[in-house]
Amino acid sequence: MNANHFNILSNKIVFLMLTILPVGGGFVYAFLYSIGTIGILNNGFTLSHWVNVLTDTSFWFSLGYSFYIAIVSVSISILLALTIVLFWKKSLVSNNSIVSYLLYIPLCFPAIVVALFSFQVWSKSGLISRIVSHLGILTEITSFPDLTNDTYGFSILYSCILMITPFFAILFSNLYKQEQIDHLKNIAMSLGATKTQALFKIVLPVILKKAKITISLFIVFVMSSYEIPLLLGRQNPQMISVLAIQKLQRFNLNDIPQAYAIACLYMIFIGLILYFLFFSKSSTQLSVSPLKRNFDD
Amino acid sequence: MKKLIYVILAMLLLACGKEQKETSFAIASASWDEIIKQGQNQSVNLMMWTGDTKINAYMNSYIRPLVKEKYNIDLTISSGQGNTIVQILMAELQANKTESDLDMVWINGETFYQLQQIKGLYGPWTSKLPNAEFIDFDNKFIGMDFQQPIAGYELPWGNVQMTIIYNSEKVKTPPMTREALYKFAKENPGKFTWDNHFTGLTFLKALLIDIAGGNGSLNGDFDEKKYQKYSSELWSYLTTLKPYLWKNGETFPEAVAPMHQLFASGELWFTMSNNDAEVDNKIAEGIFPETTRAYVPKYGTIQNSHYMGISKMSINKAAAMVVANEMISAEAQLKKQDPSVWGDGTVLDTKKLPSLLKAKFNNQPNRKYAPKRSEITQRALQEINPEYMIRLAEDFRKYMIK
Amino acid sequence: MIRKALIPVFMLMVTFPIALLLLLSFGKSWVYPNIFPDQFTLQHWNDIYQINSELLMVTLKSIGISLGVSSVVTLLSFFSSKHISYSVYKSRWLFLAYIPYVFSPVILAATLQFYFTFVDVSGTFFGVILAQLFITYPFGVLIFSNFWNPRIKAIAELSNTLGGNSWITFYKVVLPLSKGVLLLCFFQVFLISWFEYGLTALIGVGKIKTLTLSVFQYIQEANIFLAALASCLLIIPPMILLYLNKRFIFTNQQTI
Repeated sequence: MNANHFNILSNKIVFLMLTILPVGGGFVYAFLYSIGTIGILNNGFTLSHWVNVLTDTSFWFSLGYSFYIAIVSVSISILLALTIVLFWKKSLVSNNSIVSYLLYIPLCFPAIVVALFSFQVWSKSGLISRIVSHLGILTEITSFPDLTNDTYGFSILYSCILMITPFFAILFSNLYKQEQIDHLKNIAMSLGATKTQALFKIVLPVILKKAKITISLFIVFVMSSYEIPLLLGRQNPQMISVLAIQKLQRFNLNDIPQAYAIACLYMIFIGLILYFLFFSKSSTQLSVSPLKRNFDD
Repeated sequence: MKKLIYVILAMLLLACGKEQKETSFAIASASWDEIIKQGQNQSVNLMMWTGDTKINAYMNSYIRPLVKEKYNIDLTISSGQGNTIVQILMAELQANKTESDLDMVWINGETFYQLQQIKGLYGPWTSKLPNAEFIDFDNKFIGMDFQQPIAGYELPWGNVQMTIIYNSEKVKTPPMTREALYKFAKENPGKFTWDNHFTGLTFLKALLIDIAGGNGSLNGDFDEKKYQKYSSELWSYLTTLKPYLWKNGETFPEAVAPMHQLFASGELWFTMSNNDAEVDNKIAEGIFPETTRAYVPKYGTIQNSHYMGISKMSINKAAAMVVANEMISAEAQLKKQDPSVWGDGTVLDTKKLPSLLKAKFNNQPNRKYAPKRSEITQRALQEINPEYMIRLAEDFRKYMIK
Repeated sequence: MIRKALIPVFMLMVTFPIALLLLLSFGKSWVYPNIFPDQFTLQHWNDIYQINSELLMVTLKSIGISLGVSSVVTLLSFFSSKHISYSVYKSRWLFLAYIPYVFSPVILAATLQFYFTFVDVSGTFFGVILAQLFITYPFGVLIFSNFWNPRIKAIAELSNTLGGNSWITFYKVVLPLSKGVLLLCFFQVFLISWFEYGLTALIGVGKIKTLTLSVFQYIQEANIFLAALASCLLIIPPMILLYLNKRFIFTNQQTI
């Protein structure tokens, strides 16, 4: 074996040790725990925890709710980010403009801080309610609408949008440059396309197609959110991470296997989504956004 | 690249070999002097809830320097509540470890119950401590924890009673009974709630005891029949109350801290606390308005104690005992009970103390806003079996959060 | 120009959260419906170092952990990613990296805690750094997988054909080209590590304290003023890093 082979091999071993080993090990542990074969309070093999989780509506409801939050917040963020990029594309392209600086600032906000901020702004006793009250529109604190811990997850959506939009804006502006979209647009227009046509037939399709994988990944990120729904959500419906951790940490130690069953299901779910994204016919080229947003530090 | 891999491997090996310490010391048969000798110059890792500024300040600027100076013991405080402690000790037991990362743990009944379930605590040990002589073990609020005898497996550290906190500017006459609470909530919807965690459950337990016939009616082991009977009455009461709660009772604050925030900003008129001196603390910190008061309704609230435990596999048990002994000294308890420090009730039987110390306890500055201890003790309810709490928590999700 | 005029509005939107949190960190008592806190005080900023006299040490240690994690990840993943990206089975390898990339760190930590305890690294710096590698290394590999594209490969091969040995090719050709992406990876991994909470808390067993862990404590208390102050403490270091780094990251993004 020559040095080069050794090099390649050792790199791949490091890769496997740092990616598949923890995920695989974690899955095995969670799975064994959930079927009762390990765990000091478990009494041997049983499928009852899985049956419990799968037949309990709260798991499915929680999955659905997480998906709803993810789809809505990612869609709105895409719209906002596209607006920002198309509106300020000249400033963004010139790199050192103030707009490009500003876009990076929200990267420094962790989820917990965004959640805290949203609560201080949108709750019944929050800043908006105070301002409205000063304007004389509101007489009673209770008449301010429920925007935190509400059924539709208004403030959860707001927080997620606040966190994602800058990322998408940076991603889109990079794609705009990288794919030389101005150039494409000019060609289209010189061939007789109107501005609107150029936008809807060239600019948007190129950007969105290129960003497809990243957008899908962000949907999964948002679905895994923990701190934001913990502070701003309600007990029912609950997002999936909140549900799993709550089962893991509440008073009944006999709920722990169920928490691990949920963790397994969630891993399988993510695996399937990724598999579909990567190996389905439609996925052409892999691309990853250079930015990651942690919603569940 | 190759070098890097070797470095990583070497780091792994190094990390696996944590320094081993002498563990052959036979602590169970050792005298106190031997324990001090063994314990000094060691380090102790105490895991405790660190969600209160005043408590943290007491630990960091009083207890830690004290044991450092007296015995050269390094006391580290790690942040973690009941469930984290249980999780860590469970993982250690499962991994067949012989040394625990945790030496001391700050717990109360529900964690005590869980830790006894997994056999995670060392004991009995509390009778070794010289200062334990003054502890009021005969007091049923101290010697019993959630109906379980503490049997030397945990050391009483402080004693508190739950109070309901209200804004006296908005609430002129706080509701004293379940009926009055219903009436009040109906007239002032959205101003009352409880949290979906420990404090809220403690409130529900008090209601359950009231329905069952008052203090002592649910004492002893968990009784399924009694639970079925009285809890169904509780849920039907709460269901009628539900539409008049905060957010129509469709959701509840996740923990007591967010509930305090809602109270501080005026969104709620009530909050509650497991520490009867909390109003004084929070007013002094400028968080609660000065019109805040606390009370115990006629149906009573639960009084309980919180404790120090030593993990079974701790290798610093002697040092942990030395620290624990300092924590229950009359001076430390006196300081802790001072409302401007923490306001945590003592577990000592002050009558047994030497007269000088007794006088100090008697002359301690009073709370300004919290009700007098002697008054609320008359309405104190004993903790009930932890099984009741587990069931209440489950059924609360089932019947109330829909 | 409307575009120019709207820039201040945009600026206000972005800086508003910082302003509000900063304002609250100096506040004392904020009764409804007052728009501003009733009193202002320096007390919290003074207190925080008195109550937690170790805070400075903790801050330094967290910077140490985050710098350590980001250096190791940047270095390791830079090379791993090259071999993965040039492999015939690129997409299969990357698929494996994507799973930990999208998975929830706190749930991952819960499933791994047993192993860390078993090999006796829970509650150690090494354990925390290793656990953080598990979530940041795959991310690093993914960032660099876009850098190691056919163009770079062709340039490196060209350099070799022109007589440069592999060291010179790497040092004089590949490294200068990768400067931007290296910085980007470093910065991003630093942020992930800096903000990491659930995983660090579980694997560190509370013994390993980071600033984020200490700050969470304040946020979980009832005191919004301390929580706001804590948030400021969390945000400032990455902002400084961003200020220092942004130009590099931003101008070199075309390579990604």
